[in-house]
Amino acid sequence: MALRAVLLRQLRVPVQTLALAGCKSQPWSFSSCIRLMSSHDDHLSKEQVIGRVLDVVKSFPKVDPSRVTPDVHFQKDLGLDSLDNVEIIMAIEEEFKLEIPDKEAVKIDSCNLAIEYVYNHPMAA
Amino acid sequence: MGTSSGPKLSGMQKQVLSLYRGFLRAARLKSPEDRRQIESIVSAEFRRNSQQVDRKNFLYIEYLLRRGKKQLDQLKSPDTVGMSSLYLNLHQPTNHKP
Repeated sequence: MALRAVLLRQLRVPVQTLALAGCKSQPWSFSSCIRLMSSHDDHLSKEQVIGRVLDVVKSFPKVDPSRVTPDVHFQKDLGLDSLDNVEIIMAIEEEFKLEIPDKEAVKIDSCNLAIEYVYNHPMAA
Repeated sequence: MGTSSGPKLSGMQKQVLSLYRGFLRAARLKSPEDRRQIESIVSAEFRRNSQQVDRKNFLYIEYLLRRGKKQLDQLKSPDTVGMSSLYLNLHQPTNHKP
């Protein structure tokens, strides 16, 4: 299933990059190492992720906030276009201090997929 | 389940969206004021072209992609603060009717 594939790939990518980068030069790898050592408790709860993703989408100028639910599709339900989709994903990146690679970003076209992506991302903050 | 069922994007559309993403990323590295200005210019430019350019005019879209990539490279240089110098020459040739 597409969702499953997205999630599986996502779960794998950070591990690979961490293994490659280790705790060496890259400025971001230091904070990722701290992440790894931190207890699991401070990982975002699903409710937190849902609330913050929905807030980002609701605050998008072209979106009618009353129509935003976890199940909405950005383009089909909210009348956004593909450029808006890019902007929303970028806003979600900033909200959770993530960098979502192009390959993943193009697949995220609904609140649900965004929530799943962020929730399963080990570095979401 | 609501998995990705949006419109399939062509390779060229993906390139355009990727370029757009690149501009927005580059804008983040500038001062808040420059960033706002860059974002509004870039967004307006992409939207204008998405309305005006015939989606089958591949040659022209390829030209726009190449030009955009060059402008993005310039914007990424730390010496470039805003888009004003980059985009001054952009708004002159409005005779590009599809």
